Amino acid sequence: MRNSELAISIKGLTKFYKDFQALDKISFEIKRGDFFAFLGPNGAGKTTTINVLTGLSNYQSGDVRVFGHDVTSEYLSSRRLIGLCAQESNFDPFLTIYQLLVYQAEYFGVTPWEAKRRANELLERFGLADKRNCKHRALSGGMKKRLLLCRALIHDPEILILDEPTSGCDLELKFLIWDYLTQLNKEGKTIFLTTHYMEEAEKLCKTIGIINNGKIVRIGDKKQILQDKSLQDVFLEITGIE
Amino acid sequence: MLHLVTNPIGVLALAKREIHRFFSVANQTIFPPLVSSALFMYIFGVAIGSRVNFSATGLTYLQFITPGLMAMHLISSSYENTSSSLFIGRWHNHIQEILLAPLSYIEMVLGLLAGGVARGILVCMGVWLISLFFTPSIIAHPIALLYFMLMVSVIFSCAGMMGALWAEDFGMLSMWNTYVIIPLALLGGVFHPLFMLPPALQIISHFNPIYYLVSGIRYSMTNVTDTPAMTCAIVALGMAGTIFLATVYLFKIGYKLRT
Repeated sequence: MRNSELAISIKGLTKFYKDFQALDKISFEIKRGDFFAFLGPNGAGKTTTINVLTGLSNYQSGDVRVFGHDVTSEYLSSRRLIGLCAQESNFDPFLTIYQLLVYQAEYFGVTPWEAKRRANELLERFGLADKRNCKHRALSGGMKKRLLLCRALIHDPEILILDEPTSGCDLELKFLIWDYLTQLNKEGKTIFLTTHYMEEAEKLCKTIGIINNGKIVRIGDKKQILQDKSLQDVFLEITGIE
Repeated sequence: MLHLVTNPIGVLALAKREIHRFFSVANQTIFPPLVSSALFMYIFGVAIGSRVNFSATGLTYLQFITPGLMAMHLISSSYENTSSSLFIGRWHNHIQEILLAPLSYIEMVLGLLAGGVARGILVCMGVWLISLFFTPSIIAHPIALLYFMLMVSVIFSCAGMMGALWAEDFGMLSMWNTYVIIPLALLGGVFHPLFMLPPALQIISHFNPIYYLVSGIRYSMTNVTDTPAMTCAIVALGMAGTIFLATVYLFKIGYKLRT
């Protein structure tokens, strides 16, 4: 990892899906150790931005870096630093959840012995240890969310990208995830969170970025953005949603 | 342009997962070609073949079709393994597990390829073992057999990946195998030597690339071939190299993998 104080640096990122412009020259930076909330209405460009960062989407122009590594020309280095907790469960149906985590760690170059140790630790931490020999289809919705988080963390990434991690979770699980994310951030992990729950962003994050129609419409320190208003009011005002 | 292997643990893990996958559904992946081969050998080799005068080749009909069946199942098993694995990965979107990892595009292809090559060779050798119940046979050129098995499995494992990337549904996925690969394999001399065909068809057969692959395996097994073994080996190497690079290129540009 390069000694970059910026965990993420995006300059002039433009992305089209055929004729539809999903991102319009967006630029922003996230500092190492930040807890960043990336907010916006459905279709605003949040997931597209995540996909570009993680290498799941190509883009037309711009400079996108993760800890100083260009996500296209230095993709091997940038991907090693990212853990992605996807919006929906997408697990290999042939594997048990334990095998799934071990393989995932090994894809990132973690030795098999260490991969097994980490898989056991995470399954224990997220209350999935007794399901280790089950396939993901046997898990409830909340358990699948926990498994997504385990998979994102299995290679001990420097930056954790979470795409609506608590959608569909009950309160207990939501609090568990919040506590865990707060703890990870205190340990120095950079966290990039997208969510539709304003209270979640307001409670957890230090900085906030709002995207609408593929453009960054507000970004900055949480206190600066809120100025004694609730995040929901600020969000509705900026995005023009009534 | 291409990164070589920089993450050996990752490639090995992907290879292990691919092999794990086909073993976990062995009733669909390993045993059916062995059962169908046993039936082919019994019906065509024992029941019908004993009445066919095949003395011109120096082999019995059963000895002639065994390498053909080995080649045919090597081709279809390699193709089916990578095509189903990659297509299901796209379908369930768990292909992201690989796309997010620090694996170069050549490493991704190598990892997926390992499953197709392993399954193809396993089934191919299984067909040979089954043939021993019907007729004694020794492998005439083991090193050549290993070479041709490797080349053929690489060619069709890569073809399977290309098919899986191109396909939008399960119908499109099986189309290449049903309408192109299996017919070309059957017309490529699985059950017949070239001299049994009319002269015009003999010429046309030389334009069928699978003919050289079947001939190469037959030469390796029996020392009998219609075409020089070196020609077969060069054609196989050329095809394997070309299709491998084409597959890596498709991964590099993210064809139907990245939005």
